[in-house]
Amino acid sequence: MAVDFEKLILDLVTPLVIHPEDLLVKKFSEDETSITLQVLVNQEDLGRVIGRSGRIANAIRTIAYAAASRLGKKVNIDFDSF
Amino acid sequence: MKSIRFETKTLNDSAIQYAAKELRVNKDFVELNVIEEKKSLLGLNKSYVVEATVDFDVIKDGIEYLKTLLENMQIEAVIEAKQLDERQVLFSVEAKENPILIGKNGKTLDAIQTLLKNYINLYIEEYHVILVDIGGYKEQRKKQLEILATKTAMEVVKTKVKTRLGRMNAYERRVVHTKLSDWRDVTTESEGDEPNRFVVIKPNKK
Repeated sequence: MAVDFEKLILDLVTPLVIHPEDLLVKKFSEDETSITLQVLVNQEDLGRVIGRSGRIANAIRTIAYAAASRLGKKVNIDFDSF
Repeated sequence: MKSIRFETKTLNDSAIQYAAKELRVNKDFVELNVIEEKKSLLGLNKSYVVEATVDFDVIKDGIEYLKTLLENMQIEAVIEAKQLDERQVLFSVEAKENPILIGKNGKTLDAIQTLLKNYINLYIEEYHVILVDIGGYKEQRKKQLEILATKTAMEVVKTKVKTRLGRMNAYERRVVHTKLSDWRDVTTESEGDEPNRFVVIKPNKK
């Protein structure tokens, strides 16, 4: 069974945000070598999801990367606000 | 426990939303308790004094967060949590696929720890140190580092030439510094910039 990256990231990010209703994780594109995901959050939550000098964002990227390693794919994640 | 008191006219979702915003947490964890009911003279305007608390248990919710993460990664694992002291909790994970979870030089392990620590500390008032270990990796790494530190230090004492160790993260450098802190013949120092910071072991002049 394939890993559902959208759910993986959603479950990681949801407890961090104050406005879960504005949280959106979408797969942008996927090919043989890479997957690109877009994470959209409320403006107020962006800082929390990214963290000080990108610590949280990078931790999320590392975990997604590990989850994709069995598929031999790279994962790109963009964080942005509305 | 994080909490606030405020006055509200209604006890519906908007009160919870307000509390969640003030407490700066996700509203799913907010619990409202009515402290007092206030009525105006004619009894037309009713309002409530409520206390909103964050319903969160470090161990229970911490394990829950890790469990969801591992399920989503489709890795079977057993998770245990241990309160080391009042403000320090260790989460141990034993999985079928430990190497994936640990990553190169423990990179993935560090990422998991960063996220969990960040998550837990958002919901509690007093800062907690959160440690994550996977398959005893950290403990084993600590032993290796201590052996490396001791061996290198002995060499430094003998040759009186300062020696630098390979790049290490903050936790690993700490292990080396701590191990050699009671040695009188050598001093240790961290040099370089993250992520290429390393420990130098120097001989003490007599």
